[in-house]
Amino acid sequence: MATENRPTGGLRRSLLRRTEWCYDRLDEYGLLPGLTHGIALVFVLWTMFPVYWMVSGSLRTRRDLLATPPQWLPSTLTVENYVQLFAQRPQFYDYLFNSVVVTAGATLLAVALGTAATYGFVQYDYPFDLGRFHLPFTILATRFLPPIVTVIPLYRIFDATSLLNTKFGLVLAYAAFNVPFVVWMMKGFFAELPDSIVEAAIMDGHTEIGAFLKVVVPMVRPGLIAATIFTIINAWNDLLFAVILTSDTSAQTLPVALATFKTAYVIEWELLTAAGTIAMAPVLLFAFLVREKLLRGFTMGAVK
Amino acid sequence: MVRQRNSRVTAPAERALLWVEDHLRWFLTLPALVLLVAFFAYPIGRALYLSVYSFGTTGRSFVGVENYIAILTKGAFWDSLWITAKFMILAVTLEVSLGIAIAFVLNSRVRFRGLVQTIGIVPLVISPTVVALLWQLLYQNGGVLDFLVGPLTGGPVPWLSSPDVALWALVIPDVWQMTPLVTLIVLAGLQSVPDHVREAAVMDGAGRLRRLVDVTLPYVRELIVLVVILRVVGTMRVFAKVFVLTRGGPAGSTNVVSMKLYREAFRYGNYGRASTMALLLLVFALLITYAFAKISEVEF
Repeated sequence: MATENRPTGGLRRSLLRRTEWCYDRLDEYGLLPGLTHGIALVFVLWTMFPVYWMVSGSLRTRRDLLATPPQWLPSTLTVENYVQLFAQRPQFYDYLFNSVVVTAGATLLAVALGTAATYGFVQYDYPFDLGRFHLPFTILATRFLPPIVTVIPLYRIFDATSLLNTKFGLVLAYAAFNVPFVVWMMKGFFAELPDSIVEAAIMDGHTEIGAFLKVVVPMVRPGLIAATIFTIINAWNDLLFAVILTSDTSAQTLPVALATFKTAYVIEWELLTAAGTIAMAPVLLFAFLVREKLLRGFTMGAVK
Repeated sequence: MVRQRNSRVTAPAERALLWVEDHLRWFLTLPALVLLVAFFAYPIGRALYLSVYSFGTTGRSFVGVENYIAILTKGAFWDSLWITAKFMILAVTLEVSLGIAIAFVLNSRVRFRGLVQTIGIVPLVISPTVVALLWQLLYQNGGVLDFLVGPLTGGPVPWLSSPDVALWALVIPDVWQMTPLVTLIVLAGLQSVPDHVREAAVMDGAGRLRRLVDVTLPYVRELIVLVVILRVVGTMRVFAKVFVLTRGGPAGSTNVVSMKLYREAFRYGNYGRASTMALLLLVFALLITYAFAKISEVEF
């Protein structure tokens, strides 16, 4: 082995060599593929099992779901839980409706404002180096701020401006909190455009607004879709803002309903699993549509 | 501006359009900035104002820096910071080490890698509220987890009712949800190592692990720093899991800082105290952002 030619010494080196020796023996006996596939399989099972358990639980009877020892496979499948959920708690229609409205509104606002702002920073010059560093940095800082810091004073502000317990207030709050994501996600897409695109568009007779809307925006469509879906996921999933800024079915969203589901001594797990599945399904669907681009959102554009 | 303008007298609507054209850079950025000022800068200013008042049943009264002194000298706020730190250290350590290990495994010859990556996205996009419920179901007395670990622990585990276990009962769902994030990011970095670099190292006779440490690692080092910072920030703001699973209990053993602030403000109505704590938390957050900006050399 090549490493043996080098002068040995140090714990790190000897550890390295020993690990490497083990690795080589595993490889030699053909166990390596088995090991890596085994680890990958454990990872998949560990990741999927809780999701499987909730989804399958929503399609079982309560007895079947909470049996000891656990019934790994459902004995019968039924949609009765979903029927019962809406029959026993008709306010679930309201929660679902509020979630859809708030998510759609916040996403439209955040993507529109965020995309326009990003284009401005990339395309134009601003005084005091604002566009190159200060504003993007400030926008990044807001992303790192724990939301609880602003949501407490925000509660007082909403109270004073009668935005409390309204869908509109929640739309504004979610839009504001997702603009930073959109800016940092779109930044990479705009940077990948060739410089001469806007000039060429203006030569062709477009106004500057026209160049942005008709030439640039269509070219960053993959970015817009990714940013839209990422914002949808964020707004749909949030609990903190919704639980603080809303108080009844006129604005409360699904996560609030789920988090406050257990009112009595028993948790109605057969209904709660159905409600949880309803909350989970749309985001999973959207996420799979853009799975390659999603990492950009999670890493603020650091991973392409 | 190179664009030529029509010199004849223009209609008001057209003139307005031209004016918008000339100031387009501000029209593009100002709406977003106004929204951000209204929802970040103004609330922080408002918190500063609230932090010098005390809120009681009879209304509020000016108390100056009393809130700051009370919070910094009494243990409750520091306790919640310490609990948050414990949660952060446990969760981030597990997520990052497991995540990197799995990324390296998946980077070797694994079939169905794309499928495994796709499955890794599943926990990431599920609401933390739902994640907490998934695990609450598994934590049920006599439920799946008790069935699996029962033979090791000799009986059901008081997952959410014992002060010694409850913090772990929060760490596990967070690790479940966020380990795939580390895996996916690091894996993306590993796959970006150019083949010729790897081949050159093989030619030089570097062993497998030497290649890993000296050739591959530099490519992913920055990403690992990034993901650690992302998770530090993420665990600092943990709320939904605590809200659903423990509400800060039992015996205050999981009273993380978000929960502490929430209760201070909305259970005890003490907005002054809560705002003061929020501002102190803001200082920590800014320090972390600054570190991030330095490390990743932010520029636009």
